[in-house]
Amino acid sequence: MTHSIIKIKTTLLDHQIAQLSAIAIGLSLIESVLPSPMPGVKPGIANIITLYTIYQFNFKTAMWVSVLRVFATSLILGQFLSPTFMLSLVGSILSLLTLYFAIKLPSKFLSPVGLSVLSSFAHIAGQLFLVRIWLIPHPSIYSLIPIYSVAALLFGFINGWITYHLLKRHNSI
Amino acid sequence: MLRKKITLKLQAKFLIGDSLIILISLIFIVFAFKTFWFFETGSVVQVNFQGKTYGNFSLFQNKKINLIGKEGESIIEIKEGRARFKSAPCKNQYCVQQGWIHLTGQILICIPNEVSIEILGKSKAYDSLNY
Repeated sequence: MTHSIIKIKTTLLDHQIAQLSAIAIGLSLIESVLPSPMPGVKPGIANIITLYTIYQFNFKTAMWVSVLRVFATSLILGQFLSPTFMLSLVGSILSLLTLYFAIKLPSKFLSPVGLSVLSSFAHIAGQLFLVRIWLIPHPSIYSLIPIYSVAALLFGFINGWITYHLLKRHNSI
Repeated sequence: MLRKKITLKLQAKFLIGDSLIILISLIFIVFAFKTFWFFETGSVVQVNFQGKTYGNFSLFQNKKINLIGKEGESIIEIKEGRARFKSAPCKNQYCVQQGWIHLTGQILICIPNEVSIEILGKSKAYDSLNY
């Protein structure tokens, strides 16, 4: 008799990624329960974890955390491959891309607050783009830009602020 | 092979970059509101009757248009840059109760009598009907 146990060798980093993703998934789930004034206006508190990971680890780790979060959350909520999932994925990818370039700037220049605002704008830009070309291919979508921009600035700022204090408390670097 | 590692340092409070980003986004928001939320006063009212354009009329005149459709007579009134259904033969009177319209893209529809009026401006405004 043989035990057929597949063993995957995991590193410490894998565990850390899993833990961080778990927190991010938890935050996403909490957020999905919260009422929203209109579809798409969400605080995006899971982004706190992404930013936190960028500072505490590196960009690659943050990318893992963010993408895992998107996939896992959609599986839990039963939205996998649905438009909601696609929007979430595109938003995350664009926001990560923006962060990738933003963190190459000298760190004297930016704090988590600035990065958070940038990434939330990128997130909403990606989503609106997808909505425009795929879900609602009509120019009337543009009249939503002001509302979403205000939300992006507000929530981006708040998330950045929280990340900043979180990092300060954990005495990062 | 060593990869170039990007280290991020947590900086104290507000930095130039942050302020700049927030400033730019504020400017963008103001710009977005101005660009995408324009409310333009229209100059022409287009009357559609039984699926066809009955005619375009300037809003800067006093005029009454009588249309006799399936249900009876609809009276459209144009006055002081605004337009409305003065009376309609239909049961619900939705079109009459919506009152005056004057902004580009605003529209009043009387389905039973197949009459609709729409305010046109220099540029075509977007509304849900286009989609």
